[in-house]
Amino acid sequence: MPRDDSSTSKPFLATDRRRLLLGLGAAAGGTLAGSLCPAQAARAGTTSEAEHVADAPLGTARLQQRQPFHGPHQAGIVTPRPAAGLVAAFDVVVQSPADLERLFRALTVRIAFLTQGGRTPQLDPKLPPADSGILGPEIEPDNLTITVGLGAALFENRPWLRPFKPKHLQRMAGFPNDALDPELCHGDLSIQFCANTPDSNIHALRDLLKNLSDQLVLRWLQDGSVPVVAPAADGEKQSARNLLGFRDGTANPDSGDPATMARVVWVGEANDEPAWARGGSYQVVRIIRMLVESWDRTPLGEQQRIFGRKKVSGAPLDGRTEADVPDYAADPDGRVTPLDSHIRRANPRTPEAREHLILRRPFNYANGVTKSRQLEQGLLFVCYQADLEKGFLTVQGRLDGEPLEEYVKPIGGGYFYALPGVPRPGDYLGRPLVEALAARPSTPS
Amino acid sequence: MKLNRLLAGSALALAVGLPGLAAAKVEPSLELVQPLADYKIYISEKLQKLVDDTTAFTAAIEAGELDKAKALYAPTRASYEAVEPVAELFGDLDAAIDARADDFEKREKDPNFTGFHRLEYGLWEKDSTKGLAPVADKLLADVTELQGRVVDLPLPPEKVVGGAADLMNEVAASKISGEEDRYSHSDLWDFQANVDGAEKIFELVEPLVAKDDPAFVQRVSANFKTVDDTLAKYRAGQGFELYDKLSESDRTVLSAAVNTLAEDLATLRGKLGLN
Ligand code: HEM
Repeated sequence: MPRDDSSTSKPFLATDRRRLLLGLGAAAGGTLAGSLCPAQAARAGTTSEAEHVADAPLGTARLQQRQPFHGPHQAGIVTPRPAAGLVAAFDVVVQSPADLERLFRALTVRIAFLTQGGRTPQLDPKLPPADSGILGPEIEPDNLTITVGLGAALFENRPWLRPFKPKHLQRMAGFPNDALDPELCHGDLSIQFCANTPDSNIHALRDLLKNLSDQLVLRWLQDGSVPVVAPAADGEKQSARNLLGFRDGTANPDSGDPATMARVVWVGEANDEPAWARGGSYQVVRIIRMLVESWDRTPLGEQQRIFGRKKVSGAPLDGRTEADVPDYAADPDGRVTPLDSHIRRANPRTPEAREHLILRRPFNYANGVTKSRQLEQGLLFVCYQADLEKGFLTVQGRLDGEPLEEYVKPIGGGYFYALPGVPRPGDYLGRPLVEALAARPSTPS
Repeated sequence: MKLNRLLAGSALALAVGLPGLAAAKVEPSLELVQPLADYKIYISEKLQKLVDDTTAFTAAIEAGELDKAKALYAPTRASYEAVEPVAELFGDLDAAIDARADDFEKREKDPNFTGFHRLEYGLWEKDSTKGLAPVADKLLADVTELQGRVVDLPLPPEKVVGGAADLMNEVAASKISGEEDRYSHSDLWDFQANVDGAEKIFELVEPLVAKDDPAFVQRVSANFKTVDDTLAKYRAGQGFELYDKLSESDRTVLSAAVNTLAEDLATLRGKLGLN
């Protein structure tokens, strides 16, 4: 449903209060992974102004955070990672270019509405409601991003699409430490939902399933979260922790620097890819189980040697703060930072290693109990790169055999190609591919 | 979306009594009299067939004719599956006739696990009719009881019309996965029977919605056709191939068509002005 602008106007707020809310929103949307927790927000509120009994909870500021839908790239890739993420993979009913266009257009309409917010249609009570209603009649954007990727299967199972497959897109093959569950792998299409609250992701997923039931069939999904982190006293950036208790995201390339992102993440002219793919990115999703009970029984020193970082601070083993850069040249034999530690294998920090950077955007997950009555927890690992081969595949190849493998088991996921963005209103997701299809010389059935 | 706009339009008409759809719906129950009477005949025939087939099926079990009993299992159930929404009006009987092992904490070992799936479990998992005679007796008694109760049942129109969506929800929730007939893998028989049951209801009321919403009728008919055509690929003998033969791509096509039928048929009650 196209966004109804008239319905998105917000209730009146006193000017100073509005400024406060917007300020909070901006802080939460900054480079800190996550945003202020309600308690902090409340504290901020009491120090700067009087409270009124009928004030809306300050959570509203976060609910109204909005990520733009239009742009050269899809949102949800270099967008600061909010607290809740969900990746779902689908099989699609697409038998012709017209079907593909219909799917892309329908996705565009729903995503534009869901991410920008607005009022849901109210129908006659004799009919099923148009919307699940789990967010109420008025959808707040809640920082929601919805990112669509295409799987190799979509191309490979359709002869007319095959010639248009991005060069490196392939079915995820198991690595030596993997124990892939076929029910948690692959798919024609991936959709990554990220928002401040998990409810917004669930709402969006249900909306897409309901409105696109004729083309989208759910295959698997995994949701996850990022623990909210308070800024350090000295204002220094601190990364959120994963479920092994280590800060995760420290050494990511700078997602705030467009030039770095153009090199590391976005497919451009320099990449030998079909023209339609420009502005997109390879998306890797890995559901990686962690054997958290064994991990918690592992001596701290060993845990730190496995990662090559200190657990409390996140600093490299030869450093003091999280931001310190390890100096491997000064430690050629790995006496301080073991040669097979996770970070040293993942990025040996040689000039050559600059070719293999990836942008990681993972979420922690907790799914309950395994058959062996162990906790079923892990990392919903998501990363983006302009070249799947040079990026994830090379890095994972170097990680194969790392000591961390004793505590982790990849069980699912897939490789997808995140579509270029929708540059302007009236345009739709995937149009360059649809147009390339229309212009194709011959029409194999 | 187009569908939503369409619904919003007709919903508005219903709500405020505008001419058109709403005017035609002043006395929804009147124009439903004939379809409901026809539906009653349909279920009576199905239930008679269910009792007849169950008599033969259970007789085979009691005679220890394993192969014959196996051959009769799926076709016998089909009549039940076609009228499931009506059968489900009697929760006690539905549980006794059609519950699955998952409905019981002790699964297959639970003494309350009876009916078709208990027999299916014995015939396929144990590959024997041994010990099944009492379960068979009980099943025959239960389906006979069901037939008797339905004779006197006034059919609430919203239950009948809503039954079309219920049947598709049922397919979407348990037939598409192959978990319903997990021992015999004859799910495609049930699948077709559920779809037939929904299609019957839709056909009976179709003329009442066709003039106001031809696009809806066209879409629903097209999706029924997709399902029927896809299932037809798996026909074998009098019935269907085993569930595991279903290809992944056909399963996707079926899922999408079934989910969309469920979405669309869920609006049928409202479209007919039923609450
Ligand atoms: C459960 C699995 C994993 C855990 C718990 C984990 C954890 C960590 C941690 C704690 C760090 C150090 C902090 C940081 O720079 O973010 C790190 C760094 C890194 N990880 Fe992982 N990771 C996992 C899987 C992976 C995978 C599958 C890859 C890619 C194939 C990967 C690639 C990297 C890279 C490239 C770095 C940065 C290294 C650097 O530049 O210094 N990680 N990881």
